[in-house]
Amino acid sequence: MAAIEESGGGHGKGDGKVRAKKMSTRVDMTPMVDLGFLLITFFMLATTMSKPTSMSLAVPDKTEDKEKETEPLKASKVLTLFMGANDDVYYLDGVAADDDKAEASLKTTRYGFDLRSVIFASQKRINAANPKDEKGNEAFVVVIKPTPVSTYKNMVDVLDEMAITKSKRYALVDNLTDSEKKLLGDKIKDKN
Amino acid sequence: MAKVRPKKHAPHTDMTAMTDVAFLLLTFFIMTATFKSNEAEITTPSSISQIKVPDDDIMVISIDKAGKVFFGVDAKPVRAAMLENIGQSKGITFTETEKAKFALQSSFGFPLNQLKPWLNMTKEQMPNVKQPGIPVDSTGASELADWVYAARKANNQLRIALKGDNLSKFPVFKDVLANLQSQNINKFNLITGSEQAPAGYTNE
Repeated sequence: MAAIEESGGGHGKGDGKVRAKKMSTRVDMTPMVDLGFLLITFFMLATTMSKPTSMSLAVPDKTEDKEKETEPLKASKVLTLFMGANDDVYYLDGVAADDDKAEASLKTTRYGFDLRSVIFASQKRINAANPKDEKGNEAFVVVIKPTPVSTYKNMVDVLDEMAITKSKRYALVDNLTDSEKKLLGDKIKDKN
Repeated sequence: MAKVRPKKHAPHTDMTAMTDVAFLLLTFFIMTATFKSNEAEITTPSSISQIKVPDDDIMVISIDKAGKVFFGVDAKPVRAAMLENIGQSKGITFTETEKAKFALQSSFGFPLNQLKPWLNMTKEQMPNVKQPGIPVDSTGASELADWVYAARKANNQLRIALKGDNLSKFPVFKDVLANLQSQNINKFNLITGSEQAPAGYTNE
């Protein structure tokens, strides 16, 4: 294969003069290319191209004393999302869980576009009905309630929706009240 | 009539151009290579967040899909110092070889009492052992909290990243959270894959 010609046997027997044969300058590059592509293949398979991104999460200080009483949220300004099993989201839009209407107004949606539409609709309605508070914050508040059957992905998805819908005020609350437990009933029971 | 025969040519192709391209690509891939680590397989959810995960000074708490918790620190000297710190607080002495071996592990998931036997295995055996995960509970004072404390003692610049699997259940995350909050760590990063923001989304 190699195209470098050996200049062997160039010695004439009688004439005494040694003449160098003209060498071809062509180099067969096939093995080199082979090796090159082999390495490319290896590095392509071994690399993780997309660098993971991260979302920052800040949670309220737990060790701080609980003396500071905050004003309770009005249910009419709150969209409550319950993260259920099998990627279902149950939500209460402007209704408290201990309200008589709660059972009738508990709706189900899915992650992604459906949930986004729900948040946008609720955001629009609540912000239109309530004026901004004295600090200029919008009235709309989302309360996110993960249940034991929801997954980590569900939580990241909801937090992501908060970023997409620009809902600045949201709270991740991981304990359900009794009325909420009653309301959700079997929906948050582990089936396995 | 004489047949017109094509002249015999040696099948030479000029491969210089191809070689150039091949090596250009090769250089690119070598430069950008960050190797997949052979730790627990975790598929992270994706988010539209644009913030990159920092490369250095980071500790990663991973939760796999079975809910097992793993812990890892990026720099080798910090890993060794961390092991020494936890040994001191728990009254365990680790030998130099154990420390050296531990420093090579990018992440681990063993309860403290099973760590020593694991470190005494041969290099070939070590990856084959099923790691049970670091014990975590909701009290906020489990072994994970000790590890986080030991790591921060070794390097107080460490940032904390949480890497959870899509399918890991929320309660495990809650327990991990409790362990961090008990040490007054209230800000951390969740490692996610990147995804395209939906149409119409503007990032002001």
